Amino acid sequence: MGPGFAKWIITVAFCWFIQIASGNSVEQKIYVELNNTVPCVRLLNATHQMGCQSSISGNTGVLHLLETDSDLDIILNNGLHAPYMVLMDASFFNSAVMMRMKNSTRVAGVAVVIPNSSPVQGFSPHNKCPNQYTGVYSDTYGPRLADCNGTVWNPLGNGLSFEDFKFPIFSMNDDNQTAVIRKCISEHNMGVNGSAPAYPLCALQLFSHMHAVTSTATCMRRNDIQNNYSLNPETVCDPLGDFNVWAPLHPINTTAKGHKANESVVVAATRMDGRTFFWDVATGAEGTVAGIVALLAASQALKTTAEQAPPPRNILFTFFQGETFDYIGSSKMVYDMDNNNFVIDMENVHSVLEIGQVGLRRGSELWMHTDPVSRRNNISVNQEVGNILKGMTSAGAELGLSLAEPTATQALPPSSFQRFLLSRAVPGVVLADHQSAFNNKYYESVYDNADYLNVSYPPDLTLEEQLEYVTDIARALTNVSTLVARSLYLQAGGEESQLENISADSKIVTQLLYGFLIQSNNSYFRSLTNPEDKLLLEARAPQYYVGVPISANTIKPSTRIVQYLLANYLGNSTGLNQSKCQDPSGLPEESKELYSYLWVRGANGSEAAPFCVRSTVRRTLAISPAFELKQYDSRTYSTWTESRWKLIRARIFLVASHDLEMLTLGVGIAVLLLSLLVTYFLSTKAELLFAPAQESTGSAY
Amino acid sequence: MDYVPSFDIGRQLPHSNCERYHQDETEMNLERVPNEEKLSLCRKYYLGGFAFLPFLWLVNVVWFFREAFVKPTYNEQLQIKTYVKRSALGLLLWVAVLTTWITIFQHMRAQWGEVSDYLSFTIPLGVE
Repeated sequence: MGPGFAKWIITVAFCWFIQIASGNSVEQKIYVELNNTVPCVRLLNATHQMGCQSSISGNTGVLHLLETDSDLDIILNNGLHAPYMVLMDASFFNSAVMMRMKNSTRVAGVAVVIPNSSPVQGFSPHNKCPNQYTGVYSDTYGPRLADCNGTVWNPLGNGLSFEDFKFPIFSMNDDNQTAVIRKCISEHNMGVNGSAPAYPLCALQLFSHMHAVTSTATCMRRNDIQNNYSLNPETVCDPLGDFNVWAPLHPINTTAKGHKANESVVVAATRMDGRTFFWDVATGAEGTVAGIVALLAASQALKTTAEQAPPPRNILFTFFQGETFDYIGSSKMVYDMDNNNFVIDMENVHSVLEIGQVGLRRGSELWMHTDPVSRRNNISVNQEVGNILKGMTSAGAELGLSLAEPTATQALPPSSFQRFLLSRAVPGVVLADHQSAFNNKYYESVYDNADYLNVSYPPDLTLEEQLEYVTDIARALTNVSTLVARSLYLQAGGEESQLENISADSKIVTQLLYGFLIQSNNSYFRSLTNPEDKLLLEARAPQYYVGVPISANTIKPSTRIVQYLLANYLGNSTGLNQSKCQDPSGLPEESKELYSYLWVRGANGSEAAPFCVRSTVRRTLAISPAFELKQYDSRTYSTWTESRWKLIRARIFLVASHDLEMLTLGVGIAVLLLSLLVTYFLSTKAELLFAPAQESTGSAY
Repeated sequence: MDYVPSFDIGRQLPHSNCERYHQDETEMNLERVPNEEKLSLCRKYYLGGFAFLPFLWLVNVVWFFREAFVKPTYNEQLQIKTYVKRSALGLLLWVAVLTTWITIFQHMRAQWGEVSDYLSFTIPLGVE
């Protein structure tokens, strides 16, 4: 311990800092990080786990391109460098190939390259009968219609999203990064003249180790044990959920929960979420966005007439979150209604009109789906449904739409209305563009995007011009919105004479389509949302996967955007300033029980004209009642959870052959033993080897 | 730091004594302990092992093995020998029980589901 030691420490620390500061580390010379990848994660329900899992130190394998069937043969049977990491062309990403890979031990992982063009024959990783066990049809209610016995709604579904893969599957777009991988493969992994390629070979390593196992019951039990008994609790999974957004046309007192006397409500519902095989990616154009846009535009169309000639019944515009995963949002709302925990209860519900998938109309046809069982058993329900259908058909005829009923004994398609029927027989109609099976060839897949709905613009337009350009699909959806608005008005008991004043604005519809499918950060959305919320609008389309709430206060951007839009369409501007807008409790004309207040930027996109919107829009929690009741193996409620993970990462590098690695290790161990031997030998024979120059007597050390 | 005595003891004592002098500072040397103390020490470790502390029995066996079986006979050696033998027996029993339980638990943890979750202190992540 002395000045020499201190100097040494300082030198080492200095060199270490320099090393960290400069980017020239050895790691960067070996590994190429792949940043634009999307993993597939593990989801669990009451009985099963599904999705993908990697080992905790990542799955490594030699890269192999999968473009032809002979490649598949090499990977699964013949290749010499198993296990392989497959760089897969999306045309091979189907049930047959993936199930073969699932059962093979020679596949260490898959990287799917998603092209810009969609497969013509269709692709849907969802199952054939969506939400089979949590719908209304069961052995006791319409047994002939249960389990899609009558109609298979998603015939192209291959169920890949519900399979449990023991290797990681990542997706990447066909961009520069994928070109780097292909270059690496072509330089190192192609054999010369048909022979096997020689080491070193290009390898891919994927990290996506998931913490939860077996089922929701197991992982929630482990969560509870950890939280109660461990010093360092480790949560392994989280329930899926977010918020439902709803707004009544006339205000309802929200502090008094339960049945409201003299309140008869028509529920106008649609879903707000979607999913794909991969995590947090869900463009959901036909499956999700078409319904959102139609209902939002309908609410805007109804507002003025509802103020001038209010219909006798109230209309509750509801956007349900989490419907893909066994009706999370709608089951929660119905549960709350049944337990007097919501502003109205099921007896207040007069009828339901739900907007299903309405974007892919064949010509001018639209279909009105009803529930045959409740209509058969209940005369009043049948009568009311008949009235709704009549009103809708006549409203459609004026707009040039031909509305028809599918076969009288056909079941309802998967829809939130089924959860209402589980509680009590209410009359209701689900509006859709398909007569029996979905028109949507890409249900709950990455290909259900703007291109599928033909949301495309002439190439020479600027962003602002694109925003205002009315596409064909926008016109079609405007018609649907007008139809929905007029039907709702009739359903709520309004006068037929007022119908001609109700029509949706195609400019609004096209701007909504742009914002929800192409880019949410545009001048229209900016003018209707809070200027201080910087993370709300992004330079890409919002994703509609329901996800898990990160904390009690985070809400998905798509949910918040819908909330702001609905508030602007149904609400009125007030003169309140920003601080009063946040807390208008003292003011005499404002009531926090009846209204909610949101601060928005205002038109012209400039900061100079923000104002406070007073509306009836509310947000309520959408987490499955199974988690409230702690019935984690429930069969009636959704029990979907998402696993947690620590590290999701992908990188490529060159690997040497196993023999070379073993040789290097062996040589290293040999050198170690040799040096130990030499040191021992030197220390025992030290006096012989290092004899002192002279023997001195009487001197201390 | 080397201990340098003020007087030159290093040149006067033979090499082995110097070694023993250093050894005394770091560990207890049974050589210089009287036999009665050795017996009481062995007994203490033997009795202590009954408090579900098989490691004490292991220490007993390892430490007193040479005293009990290798050294020439002295008075207390018979008792020490019995203590060491009994400690070894207890130790073997514990090893057998623990090995059996650990093997069974590691095999059956996944199958037992809820029971093993309640028995575990740390549940491994991402494993059945």
